Amino acid sequence: MAQTVQTAATAARTRLYSGRRRWNAIMIVLAWCAALFGMAWLALILGALLWQGLSGVSLRVFTEMTPPPGADGGLLNPIIGSLIMTGLAVAIGTPIGILAGTYMAEYGRYGRLSSVVRFINDILLSAPSIVVGLFVYEVLVRPMGHFSGIAGAVALAIIVIPVVVRTTEDMLLLVPNTLREAAAALGLPRAYIVRRIAYRAARAGIVTGILLAIARISGETAPLLFTALNNQFWSTNLNAPMASLPAVIFQFALSPYNDWQRLAWTGALLITVAVLALSIIARALSSPDKS
Amino acid sequence: MTDIAFQSGLGAADAARARVLRRLRLGDAAFHALTRAAAITVLALLGGVILALLEGAIPALSKFGFNFITTERWNPVTETFGGLAPIYGTIVTSLIAMVIAVPIGLMIALFLTELCPISLRRPIGITIELLAGIPSIIYGIWGLFVFAPFLQQYVQPALINTFGSVPGLSVLFAGPPYGIGVLTAGLILAIMVLPFITSISRDVFEAVPPVLKEAAFGLGCTTWEVFRNVVVPYTRVGVIGGVMLALGRALGETMAVTFVIGNAHRISGSILAPGTTISATIANEFTEAVGDIYTSALIALGLILFVITFIVLAAARYMLLRIERRLG
Amino acid sequence: MNVIAPHAQTAVPAAAKEALDTAKLEPKIAIRQLNFYYGAAHALKDISLTLYRNTVTAFIGPSGCGKSTLLRVLNRMYDLYPNQRAEGEVVFDGANILAPKQDLNLLRARIGMVFQKPTPFPMSIFENIAFGVRLYEKLPASELEYRVEHALRRAALWEEVKDKLNVNGQSLSGGQQQRLCIARTVAVKPEVILLDEPCSALDPISTAKIEELIDELKADYTIVIVTHNMQQAARVSDFTAFMYLGQLVESASTQKIFTSPSDRRTQDYITGRFG
Repeated sequence: MAQTVQTAATAARTRLYSGRRRWNAIMIVLAWCAALFGMAWLALILGALLWQGLSGVSLRVFTEMTPPPGADGGLLNPIIGSLIMTGLAVAIGTPIGILAGTYMAEYGRYGRLSSVVRFINDILLSAPSIVVGLFVYEVLVRPMGHFSGIAGAVALAIIVIPVVVRTTEDMLLLVPNTLREAAAALGLPRAYIVRRIAYRAARAGIVTGILLAIARISGETAPLLFTALNNQFWSTNLNAPMASLPAVIFQFALSPYNDWQRLAWTGALLITVAVLALSIIARALSSPDKS
Repeated sequence: MTDIAFQSGLGAADAARARVLRRLRLGDAAFHALTRAAAITVLALLGGVILALLEGAIPALSKFGFNFITTERWNPVTETFGGLAPIYGTIVTSLIAMVIAVPIGLMIALFLTELCPISLRRPIGITIELLAGIPSIIYGIWGLFVFAPFLQQYVQPALINTFGSVPGLSVLFAGPPYGIGVLTAGLILAIMVLPFITSISRDVFEAVPPVLKEAAFGLGCTTWEVFRNVVVPYTRVGVIGGVMLALGRALGETMAVTFVIGNAHRISGSILAPGTTISATIANEFTEAVGDIYTSALIALGLILFVITFIVLAAARYMLLRIERRLG
Repeated sequence: MNVIAPHAQTAVPAAAKEALDTAKLEPKIAIRQLNFYYGAAHALKDISLTLYRNTVTAFIGPSGCGKSTLLRVLNRMYDLYPNQRAEGEVVFDGANILAPKQDLNLLRARIGMVFQKPTPFPMSIFENIAFGVRLYEKLPASELEYRVEHALRRAALWEEVKDKLNVNGQSLSGGQQQRLCIARTVAVKPEVILLDEPCSALDPISTAKIEELIDELKADYTIVIVTHNMQQAARVSDFTAFMYLGQLVESASTQKIFTSPSDRRTQDYITGRFG
């Protein structure tokens, strides 16, 4: 009697167990599929970029300006425009970002101001970039009366700042306090410690942050649409509308002309290569630190 | 203090050192002030954005009032603007994106933390993160020329045929297969936010104390049972924070959506129809907006978008803060 | 002849812990020639030991001697980590559980484990216990409630939590959490219970309660306990195995180990010469 009860219980347990095993197997298969699904999109997008954009890559792309529809040309002015505005944005945004991050990690680490700034910064980090464009339009473009490269650069700088603030603060917080204490024990003042010791220790991480910020703004289109606008001709005048690669892609891709669309793909490939290269370099720089 | 040292005659070396230190100390105060100014600049930026948006939006908001949010009609000629269509489109596309990306993102995170062979973990994780680095205009151009035609040829006809006869859902999937439209935009957004959800989920999953998982395994739980009953409830707050962060991104996304949403200022019952979102509307129409009211209406839309994303991102931040504190 | 640690002597109640005759006992788990590796490091060396049914066996030894490692071999917990492997045999009910084809989930249903740090699941007290039961049995609600109550009673926790079964398990005190974990383990009706330093994170009163529990539980289960507290081993166990640097130095009845150990190292450890 006890024997049959035992086997009945075991039978029920086995039935339940095979159900659990099956469910587990299904979920594991789904998880594998999900991972492959995620990677597949990257492959599809990169594949399409290479397929469509590679055929258009030639020396001409880097030496000639944007053509009118039907003619041959290149992407020289948008490339130069993007480089100028990106460079300027980094020049403006990086110092502000590093200094703000320094304040939050070094001087005001536990203060009220720092926690508020950290909160605001995180929101700015993920805020819609088109709103940044609207802001710069209101404060720069409208008063100036015209679109300009400098307005575009400022819009990009506003996107750079939160990224740099975050990474600077994170990296400085990672520097062990014992290092700072040792320097302070030598009688060195705060600023000296921060500049000579903390910065040096966090240098790789901060540079990584800057690279990531550059990668981020390289592809940003929305903030440029009504700040720098676009320019069909060669112009390095910051006080006038300036061409940028994303804006040109936007214009050309949505146009009905084949050669414009081809140039748009090539431009897209260029941006993607630049962004991925920056991301990979940034990652390579930060991983020795992690270990 | 250094003068006292001087007076007590402590020697030339000390005096020289004191001079150097005094100079460095002045620099210290200046540096401190400089960093604090930079930190305040960040605050000022946010304040400035809100103020500028308010200032720009007030003409339109005062003219249309609350109806701005509830009116669908968007007519630049008669200068009547209602933001219902863009708001609806923003919410629906983001919703579609979340419904697809959240389960898949969590499963990828499960894969990366439990199932993936150790040597492959880093490369695959990096691959998924690279997806996040691709600029949105690339998604846009790819969406328009590759994804939308594919949907138009294969997927959308299938959806229309399958759901055409189902009573409740036929409205949802009605209409000619344009290729572009609300669904397409939602799908592209899903691919864009997938890496965010995966990344944050993976980080919180990895922070679960191993002994807790061992306790579940010790009871004889399968991998899935440990994940579902221990890991997910334990990290629930962090996962939700990550999801809301992804939602914040999806709401504000511009270029990817602009290319594939079809830019039609109307609300349709079918998700296969074209529509518009706030950011797509602004991107498409801002430079051509004639007249103050038109521009102001667009800025008002921007303000609404900013408020919505601010709330979502603030909630996300709060939750992520809570789980950071708990997991240490 | 042998200098005996005074604590050990007074802690061994004369009546209860007389040496058990192994001839009358039934072997439950037989460990044979067990070797264990963390990567290239050889952590357990040629361990052979028998654990008897319905007895309490204690693994003692200084930090790093391998006692927890040995314990975790018994339910193949090391399997979760890729660079850990075991060689040899561990025979449980006629089958070698180290064999690759051994079903791990079923094994762990029969050999349960309680950890050093209390690990309540992020669920209510009731769910913590019902969760385990539901894995193996489909019970109607009333029977499930009975099982939960029974498990909590066996873990001497019922009186303290019977009015708050819906409260989150993580809100209990440390000692209560640990007893919850014991209840959870017991609810699944295992045959063997492994305890990995279960009291090291607890206060003395909770520790005493759990030691009482162990004494009661051994009537139905085979218990293996790892402890760094010699006196606890002397109080609680029938058999003691002393380990040192990955080797099993000596294993015998608790009374023998603490009164007349055969190996010099055992004696040195017991008397506090090192540890």
